Amino acid sequence: MIKLNPLTIKKIRRFKSIKRGYYSLILLTIMILVSIFAELFINSRALIVKYEGNYYFPTYSNMISGKTFGLGENYDYETSYRDLATKFDTENSDNWLLMPIIPFNPYEVDLKNDSYAPFPPSLKDKHFLGTDTQGRDIIARVVYGFRIAIFFSLFLLFVTYIVGITIGCLMGYTGKLFDLFFQRIIEIWSNVPFLYIVIIVASIMTPNFILLVLIVSFFGWTNMTWIMRTITYKEKEREYVLAAKSLGASNLRIIFKHIIPNTIAIIVTFAPFSISSGIVTLTSLDYLGFGLPHPTPSWGELLNQSWENLDAWWISTTVVTAMIITLTTVTFVGEAVREALDPKLHTIYE
Amino acid sequence: MSDLLEVKNLKKYFPIKGGILKKKIGNIYAVDDISLSVKAGESVGLVGESGCGKTTLGRTIARLYEATSGSITFNNRNITKLKYNDLKSTKREIQVIFQDPYESLNSRHTIGSILEEPFQIHKIGNKKERVSEVKSLLKKVGLPEDAYNRYPHEFSGGQRQRIGIARAIALKPKMIICDEPVSALDVSIQSQVLNLLLELQEEMKLAYLFIAHDLAVVKHISDRVAVMYLGKIVEFTDADSIYENPMHPYTKSLISAIPIPDPSVKREKTILEGDVPSPSNPPKGCRFNTRCPEVFDKCRKVEPDLINISKSETNHLVACHLVNK
Repeated sequence: MIKLNPLTIKKIRRFKSIKRGYYSLILLTIMILVSIFAELFINSRALIVKYEGNYYFPTYSNMISGKTFGLGENYDYETSYRDLATKFDTENSDNWLLMPIIPFNPYEVDLKNDSYAPFPPSLKDKHFLGTDTQGRDIIARVVYGFRIAIFFSLFLLFVTYIVGITIGCLMGYTGKLFDLFFQRIIEIWSNVPFLYIVIIVASIMTPNFILLVLIVSFFGWTNMTWIMRTITYKEKEREYVLAAKSLGASNLRIIFKHIIPNTIAIIVTFAPFSISSGIVTLTSLDYLGFGLPHPTPSWGELLNQSWENLDAWWISTTVVTAMIITLTTVTFVGEAVREALDPKLHTIYE
Repeated sequence: MSDLLEVKNLKKYFPIKGGILKKKIGNIYAVDDISLSVKAGESVGLVGESGCGKTTLGRTIARLYEATSGSITFNNRNITKLKYNDLKSTKREIQVIFQDPYESLNSRHTIGSILEEPFQIHKIGNKKERVSEVKSLLKKVGLPEDAYNRYPHEFSGGQRQRIGIARAIALKPKMIICDEPVSALDVSIQSQVLNLLLELQEEMKLAYLFIAHDLAVVKHISDRVAVMYLGKIVEFTDADSIYENPMHPYTKSLISAIPIPDPSVKREKTILEGDVPSPSNPPKGCRFNTRCPEVFDKCRKVEPDLINISKSETNHLVACHLVNK
């Protein structure tokens, strides 16, 4: 087991004692876990199929064609498990299947013959919160959209922090020309209109997930760099660093063993806020239509639809509620982390 | 006895930068043309008020700062311009004890890993040897062995300073630069730490460059004392004569400010007026001329040299026109 610094344990205990943040973290973790395993709850594929004495688990397996389940000779494409369920029901045999709670995937268009989408919430159709303007299930869109948004933010966080910590540390530690050069770069960089660049890039090529992360972090690295530069500047003049220097420690050793561990508290404090801003960024890009391409499930696109179809209240209500819940939990976690790491609580006056 | 450390005409200026391109627009003359020497096993005290460049001098000698000019010779080796790899062996022999025991220990590391670090850096011994070495160090400075797994915040100031001392002696150095090691401590703890330093000096034949602003502390520990004012040494001689026969007006006023623990003793106090001038713009002539009670014309024009005025064997260096007429 990793031996934790008693101060760290104290900070964790302090975090747990801030109930609002602690429960928000639990809720957020559950939400992320559910979204990771969303295929088990919201999917057009059945969880288990028993057919002629064999068990099939289509959720995480390859595509199983309709031929396998005797749906006809030319059924070479993906089985429609909802149709299969109806068939099994009418046959009255030993064959059965278990569908997820919401038997639709986020790309699936479920239209009706007698009316136009969006369809309002209906228990009978199993669209518990209705469909969007193209007849896709709202819950499926929201949950899968959340998964994309949260992982987008996490990737974004990872990339910007790696770049920011590296460059910021070097700026603060080496100082001189390198520092001067990057200071000016950052000043120019942060004045480049981010949105226009994304619009230009999106009009040249369709951004995919990785590309979008890269574009956004291309403009997002400056914040962390600025912060790290300042902390490093401060830390490197402190006596424990000088002590290590006077022992003959190498620069790498000083940065990795002394400076970075002492900046963790600040890095961690910023992380939740970076995540929420990542979600907002992706959502607004999608809203404007410069984010991930259709038909990727996305909150921004849903927001756009809800704006254009205000009478379809179920779209706007769902997506706005989802956004509020996500952003407030993330912010509550951030606040609690900030509170728990507040140096004033852990300074010892003697 | 030859000199272990010899500093010649050492200068350390910190540039003042301004403007968008961070051009140099001035200098802080922190250490300005200082020469001094320390013999093996000897302790040299360095006193002066805050901001006079004592700490900068100590750190420049320890090569924590790059000297602007001048030379530092340690053990007959010029270390002024050595690069990292060549310097590493010298770093083993010059160690530093810092002023603030709360700042000088990394609060994220255990005492064990703080004290093991010198051995790791210089690749000495295996893990087992290091642990036993660290435990004997702890014993040497009077701390319990179970301090090994504890963190700095669990210790008091005096105990932390002992840890700092243990770290400094870990590599068996020849010289330790003590940068006001006791000024952050309680008076009762001060003497314990000073006595520990004296014991260690006896045992390990250490040379100290003892930086302090407290003359009483310096008296307790030093063989020779240098008095600094605004980046320069104004008086440098053995400890007894500086206390009994101070020559420079600045030294005189410092000595007269030492409290005497006897209320019946009356003496004339020289109280200096005004503040120390800015080291970025030191006064012309003698640097002390703005505050000197005995200032005369020459002081404002000509800078006095540090001259030996002693007629006996021991040197007594003073930089004052009053003495060197």
